[in-house]
Amino acid sequence: MADTTLTAPRSRNRGLNLRFWLPLFWVVLLILAAVFAPWVAPRDPLAQDLFLERLPPFFMKGTEPGYWLGTDSLGRDVLSRMIYGARIALIVSFTAATLTCIFGSVLGLVAGYFGGWWDTVISRLVDIWMSFPPVLFAVLLVAVMGTGLWSVIAAIVLIDWTRFARVIRAETLVQARMDYVDSARIGGARRISTLVSEILPNVLPSIIALLTLEMGIAVIVEAILSFVNLSISSDDPTWGSMIAEGRGAIYFAWWVLLFPLIALFLTVLSFSQLGEGMKQRFDPVLQ
Amino acid sequence: MTDRPTLDILQLTVTLRGGRKLLRDVSLKVQPGEVRALVGESGAGKSMIGKAVLGILPPNIKPTEGEILLDTHHLNAMTPVTRRRTVSKIASLIPQDPLTALNPVRKIGPQIVDPLIHIHGWSRDKARERARELLDRVQIRNTDRVLQSYPHELSGGMRQRVLIASAFAPSPRLIVADEPTTALDVTVQKQILRLIRELQQETGTAVLFVTHDMGVVAKISQRVSVLFAGRVMEDAATEDVFRNPQHPYTEALIAATPSYSDLNRSFSPVPPALIADLHAKIAAEEAAS
Ligand SMILES: Nc1ncnc2c1ncn2[C@@H]1O[C@H](COP(=O)(O)OP(=O)(O)OP(=O)(O)O)[C@@H](O)[C@H]1O
Ligand SMILES: [Mg+2]
Repeated sequence: MADTTLTAPRSRNRGLNLRFWLPLFWVVLLILAAVFAPWVAPRDPLAQDLFLERLPPFFMKGTEPGYWLGTDSLGRDVLSRMIYGARIALIVSFTAATLTCIFGSVLGLVAGYFGGWWDTVISRLVDIWMSFPPVLFAVLLVAVMGTGLWSVIAAIVLIDWTRFARVIRAETLVQARMDYVDSARIGGARRISTLVSEILPNVLPSIIALLTLEMGIAVIVEAILSFVNLSISSDDPTWGSMIAEGRGAIYFAWWVLLFPLIALFLTVLSFSQLGEGMKQRFDPVLQ
Repeated sequence: MTDRPTLDILQLTVTLRGGRKLLRDVSLKVQPGEVRALVGESGAGKSMIGKAVLGILPPNIKPTEGEILLDTHHLNAMTPVTRRRTVSKIASLIPQDPLTALNPVRKIGPQIVDPLIHIHGWSRDKARERARELLDRVQIRNTDRVLQSYPHELSGGMRQRVLIASAFAPSPRLIVADEPTTALDVTVQKQILRLIRELQQETGTAVLFVTHDMGVVAKISQRVSVLFAGRVMEDAATEDVFRNPQHPYTEALIAATPSYSDLNRSFSPVPPALIADLHAKIAAEEAAS
């Protein structure tokens, strides 16, 4: 009996494999492109050429060799700009998501496990924080702090730590009620070490899932901020600013908008899929 | 020396933040080598007594009056750190629910062995050896494979055996067993109960055995405390309680246990009227005082 219930989810995991490997493939590709951008990008992403403006992508008529995904209205190479854009997208997403994760998870763990006064203060703060509309909040923050990489990262952390705090608090509460926590306490463990060595490993799969999801969200937020011209300085190519620029030319140069949009979409989707996949991989109970 | 109890609870009152008393003037003793059963309906406060002894009361619940003596140590007078150290050396717990009593992300081996190393200061080899010995004793085959397993890879009965082995491993003076068989099915319950009784007799460990089943009380204990709404209603030798219950609630509990009630009579649960009546009486007493 026990054996059949054990094997059932395992075989289902095999069916999910593609849903894990495809997103992973995309993210790895993106990371490689970002790291090796100067060598991989076929052109200088900033070089303008007014004779080559609005070239269509390679599969259409009237292209120039070497401009695979066409050029924008200033004659800059779309593919090269996208590759450099991946750099910024990934830097923002990894840094912001990691900081958000650490900040929010620590608060969630403390609130869920220590309860009492800690929980009251942290939960109130989360409630108040969440009553601000997030995007407006981000735009306001960047407007106040000024544009730049660190403002964008700070904005993401400040908007989204509540997601971690809330979810991890709830999971910690569930774990803290389990008898194994009592057993650890009777076994002489201090409260803080019980939290770190007994409870944390049990909420870690959720933390990892949230972290990868957050990476996708950070990419979107960065794109939104670029879109409204509040992100990194407008010279650096970002997917959001490319989409914003492409918007004006959508009827006669749709590729300027479409390719960065697809990259954005695939990236966000991949991160959220990876989150689910990682959760299953890291959880011995689900495996 | 011989008559000094392993556990001596004196007029213990435990209070929920806000003032509600979950235990009131509870006194009970467990002598060395003795099994003391603790019975009562759900919510009577049975687990609360065990938790107060082991020092794992939730943060909003505190012992407010009375004393707990564990092997001559006055637990309530100690600082949290010394209390924890003292208790962890002397007492262990067999918990109610084997599903949640083992950490799901840690392997069985370290969960048994680590406390032996960290608290009792044993060498790793000695601790491993002891873990194997006890797993053998609780009739687990493939001890090496089990030590390498995660909890979800074992059945409920196996997990409870692991927990029993783990509780007995450091040769504690006192074991608190909090309804260790309720989560298991009937045939497994019997095996587990027999195992606890055998190990208890072999080692002479004092046991505080929480249950709500008078049948289990009769099988395992020498003395019994009947708890109702956080108070001790009756405290007597198990034999005497079955022969001549002093309290109507005890009588009703016995009647509610099929194999110990008169076989000609039909099985009757504790009458709700009696419970309501007792609660009313207690409320009146409280209002008077
Ligand atoms: N964390 C808590 N906060 C507030 N009240 C609690 C808490 N835990 C238990 N109680 C209350 O304390 C009383 C005694 O609970 P306890 O768990 O000791 O009951 P029990 O006799 O072990 O019952 P059961 O047979 O259901 O395990 C109950 O009335 C319960 O509502
Ligand atoms: Mg209980």
